[in-house]
Amino acid sequence: MAKVAITVNGSENLNVFPPFILGSSAVSLGDELVIFFCPGGAPAMVKGVIEKMEGKGLPNLLELFEGVRNLGGKIYVCELALEAKDLKKEDIRDGVEIIGATTFMDEVKDATVTFSF
Amino acid sequence: MATQTLDALGLKCPQPILKVATMAPQLNPGDILEVIADCESFPKDIKAWAERTGKTLLFCNTDAEGKHSAQIQF
Repeated sequence: MAKVAITVNGSENLNVFPPFILGSSAVSLGDELVIFFCPGGAPAMVKGVIEKMEGKGLPNLLELFEGVRNLGGKIYVCELALEAKDLKKEDIRDGVEIIGATTFMDEVKDATVTFSF
Repeated sequence: MATQTLDALGLKCPQPILKVATMAPQLNPGDILEVIADCESFPKDIKAWAERTGKTLLFCNTDAEGKHSAQIQF
Protein backbone atom coordinates (compact mmCIF):
# COMPACT_ATOMS: atom_id res chain seq x y z
CA MET A 1 0.00 0.00 0.00
CA ALA A 2 1.29 3.42 -0.92
CA LYS A 3 0.96 6.63 1.03
CA VAL A 4 0.33 9.47 -1.37
CA ALA A 5 0.94 13.14 -0.50
CA ILE A 6 -0.18 15.86 -2.91
CA THR A 7 0.25 19.61 -2.56
CA VAL A 8 -1.82 22.09 -4.57
CA ASN A 9 -0.75 25.71 -5.00
CA GLY A 10 -3.12 27.02 -7.65
CA SER A 11 -6.87 27.10 -7.99
CA GLU A 12 -7.31 26.71 -11.76
CA ASN A 13 -8.46 23.53 -13.51
CA LEU A 14 -4.81 22.67 -14.20
CA ASN A 15 -4.10 22.62 -10.49
CA VAL A 16 -7.29 21.18 -9.05
CA PHE A 17 -8.32 18.34 -11.38
CA PRO A 18 -5.06 16.33 -11.20
CA PRO A 19 -4.95 15.93 -7.40
CA PHE A 20 -8.53 14.65 -7.37
CA ILE A 21 -8.11 12.40 -10.43
CA LEU A 22 -4.90 10.85 -9.10
CA GLY A 23 -6.07 10.99 -5.50
CA SER A 24 -9.38 9.26 -6.13
CA SER A 25 -7.53 6.58 -8.09
CA ALA A 26 -5.17 6.09 -5.15
CA VAL A 27 -7.91 5.70 -2.54
CA SER A 28 -9.78 3.36 -4.91
CA LEU A 29 -6.74 1.10 -4.83
CA GLY A 30 -6.64 1.26 -1.04
CA ASP A 31 -3.76 3.71 -0.76
CA GLU A 32 -3.55 6.35 1.94
CA LEU A 33 -3.99 9.88 0.61
CA VAL A 34 -3.30 13.34 1.95
CA ILE A 35 -4.00 16.44 -0.18
CA PHE A 36 -2.70 19.77 1.14
CA PHE A 37 -3.95 23.04 -0.35
CA CYS A 38 -1.35 25.80 0.02
CA PRO A 39 -2.69 29.39 -0.02
CA GLY A 40 -2.56 29.52 -3.82
CA GLY A 41 -4.83 26.49 -4.06
CA ALA A 42 -7.09 27.25 -1.12
CA PRO A 43 -9.72 29.26 -3.04
CA ALA A 44 -10.72 25.99 -4.76
CA MET A 45 -11.75 24.58 -1.37
CA VAL A 46 -14.18 27.43 -0.68
CA LYS A 47 -17.77 26.16 -0.50
CA GLY A 48 -19.45 25.96 -3.89
CA VAL A 49 -16.31 26.42 -6.03
CA ILE A 50 -15.60 22.91 -7.32
CA GLU A 51 -19.27 22.57 -8.23
CA LYS A 52 -18.61 25.21 -10.90
CA MET A 53 -15.31 23.80 -12.18
CA GLU A 54 -15.56 21.69 -15.30
CA GLY A 55 -13.42 20.89 -18.31
CA LYS A 56 -13.95 19.26 -21.68
CA GLY A 57 -13.52 15.50 -21.36
CA LEU A 58 -12.84 15.69 -17.63
CA PRO A 59 -14.68 13.77 -14.89
CA ASN A 60 -17.08 15.40 -12.43
CA LEU A 61 -14.89 17.12 -9.85
CA LEU A 62 -17.46 17.09 -7.04
CA GLU A 63 -17.92 13.34 -7.40
CA LEU A 64 -14.14 12.84 -7.23
CA PHE A 65 -13.98 15.04 -4.11
CA GLU A 66 -16.75 13.07 -2.44
CA GLY A 67 -15.19 9.77 -3.49
CA VAL A 68 -11.88 10.77 -1.95
CA ARG A 69 -13.63 11.70 1.29
CA ASN A 70 -15.78 8.54 1.36
CA LEU A 71 -12.74 6.31 0.87
CA GLY A 72 -10.78 7.92 3.69
CA GLY A 73 -8.61 10.45 1.86
CA LYS A 74 -7.66 13.50 3.90
CA ILE A 75 -7.97 17.00 2.50
CA TYR A 76 -6.32 19.94 4.23
CA VAL A 77 -6.09 23.68 3.68
CA CYS A 78 -3.05 25.52 5.02
CA GLU A 79 -4.00 27.86 7.85
CA LEU A 80 -1.91 30.62 6.24
CA ALA A 81 -4.49 30.71 3.45
CA LEU A 82 -7.09 32.27 5.74
CA GLU A 83 -5.34 35.62 6.05
CA ALA A 84 -3.50 35.37 2.73
CA LYS A 85 -6.71 34.86 0.76
CA ASP A 86 -9.13 36.73 3.05
CA LEU A 87 -11.02 33.56 3.91
CA LYS A 88 -12.95 32.66 7.03
CA LYS A 89 -12.88 29.17 8.49
CA GLU A 90 -16.56 28.77 7.69
CA ASP A 91 -15.87 29.57 4.02
CA ILE A 92 -13.96 26.29 3.63
CA ARG A 93 -16.08 23.37 2.48
CA ASP A 94 -17.16 20.57 4.80
CA GLY A 95 -14.81 17.61 4.91
CA VAL A 96 -11.74 19.82 4.61
CA GLU A 97 -9.63 20.53 7.68
CA ILE A 98 -7.48 23.62 8.28
CA ILE A 99 -4.03 22.67 9.56
CA GLY A 100 -0.52 24.08 9.82
CA ALA A 101 2.49 23.13 7.72
CA THR A 102 4.20 21.34 10.60
CA THR A 103 1.25 19.03 11.13
CA PHE A 104 1.14 18.28 7.41
CA MET A 105 4.87 17.56 7.22
CA ASP A 106 4.64 15.31 10.25
CA GLU A 107 1.74 13.43 8.70
CA VAL A 108 3.48 12.84 5.37
CA LYS A 109 6.93 11.97 6.72
CA ASP A 110 6.45 8.40 5.49
CA ALA A 111 4.75 9.22 2.18
CA THR A 112 5.92 6.97 -0.63
CA VAL A 113 4.42 8.90 -3.56
CA THR A 114 4.37 12.69 -3.79
CA PHE A 115 3.05 15.18 -6.32
CA SER A 116 2.60 18.92 -6.45
CA PHE A 117 0.27 20.84 -8.71
CA MET B 1 -24.00 -15.13 -3.70
CA ALA B 2 -25.50 -12.02 -5.20
CA THR B 3 -24.84 -10.27 -8.47
CA GLN B 4 -24.89 -6.49 -8.60
CA THR B 5 -24.65 -4.30 -11.66
CA LEU B 6 -22.92 -0.95 -12.02
CA ASP B 7 -23.65 1.19 -15.04
CA ALA B 8 -20.66 3.50 -15.51
CA LEU B 9 -21.38 4.42 -19.12
CA GLY B 10 -20.42 7.98 -19.94
CA LEU B 11 -18.23 8.41 -16.88
CA LYS B 12 -14.65 9.54 -17.40
CA CYS B 13 -11.59 7.95 -15.85
CA PRO B 14 -11.24 7.42 -12.89
CA GLN B 15 -14.93 7.67 -11.97
CA PRO B 16 -15.88 4.10 -12.97
CA ILE B 17 -13.16 2.65 -10.73
CA LEU B 18 -14.04 5.08 -7.96
CA LYS B 19 -17.64 3.84 -8.14
CA VAL B 20 -16.46 0.23 -8.02
CA ALA B 21 -14.30 0.99 -4.96
CA THR B 22 -17.16 2.84 -3.29
CA MET B 23 -19.55 -0.09 -3.87
CA ALA B 24 -17.02 -2.71 -2.79
CA PRO B 25 -17.82 -2.66 0.95
CA GLN B 26 -21.44 -3.62 0.16
CA LEU B 27 -20.38 -6.89 -1.52
CA ASN B 28 -19.61 -10.11 0.28
CA PRO B 29 -17.01 -12.71 -0.61
CA GLY B 30 -18.28 -14.71 -3.59
CA ASP B 31 -20.58 -11.93 -4.83
CA ILE B 32 -20.21 -10.77 -8.41
CA LEU B 33 -20.13 -7.16 -9.56
CA GLU B 34 -20.93 -6.59 -13.19
CA VAL B 35 -19.70 -3.27 -14.57
CA ILE B 36 -20.34 -1.65 -17.91
CA ALA B 37 -18.19 1.32 -18.88
CA ASP B 38 -17.01 3.08 -22.00
CA CYS B 39 -14.01 5.06 -20.84
CA GLU B 40 -10.91 4.11 -22.81
CA SER B 41 -8.72 3.03 -19.90
CA PHE B 42 -11.31 0.89 -18.12
CA PRO B 43 -9.99 -2.61 -19.08
CA LYS B 44 -6.49 -1.89 -17.76
CA ASP B 45 -7.77 0.05 -14.76
CA ILE B 46 -10.20 -2.64 -13.59
CA LYS B 47 -7.47 -5.27 -13.97
CA ALA B 48 -5.11 -3.20 -11.80
CA TRP B 49 -7.86 -2.58 -9.25
CA ALA B 50 -8.74 -6.27 -8.98
CA GLU B 51 -5.09 -7.26 -8.60
CA ARG B 52 -4.40 -4.65 -5.93
CA THR B 53 -7.51 -5.39 -3.90
CA GLY B 54 -7.37 -9.18 -4.17
CA LYS B 55 -10.55 -9.62 -6.21
CA THR B 56 -10.94 -11.91 -9.22
CA LEU B 57 -11.55 -10.29 -12.59
CA LEU B 58 -13.58 -13.00 -14.32
CA PHE B 59 -13.56 -11.21 -17.66
CA CYS B 60 -13.53 -7.83 -19.33
CA ASN B 61 -14.87 -7.79 -22.88
CA THR B 62 -15.10 -4.91 -25.31
CA ASP B 63 -17.73 -4.75 -28.02
CA ALA B 64 -17.42 -3.17 -31.46
CA GLU B 65 -18.62 0.19 -30.14
CA GLY B 66 -15.99 0.35 -27.41
CA LYS B 67 -18.33 -0.59 -24.59
CA HIS B 68 -16.62 -2.68 -21.92
CA SER B 69 -18.37 -5.31 -19.80
CA ALA B 70 -16.54 -6.75 -16.83
CA GLN B 71 -17.35 -9.14 -14.03
CA ILE B 72 -15.45 -9.10 -10.77
CA GLN B 73 -15.86 -11.79 -8.16
CA PHE B 74 -15.43 -10.63 -4.58
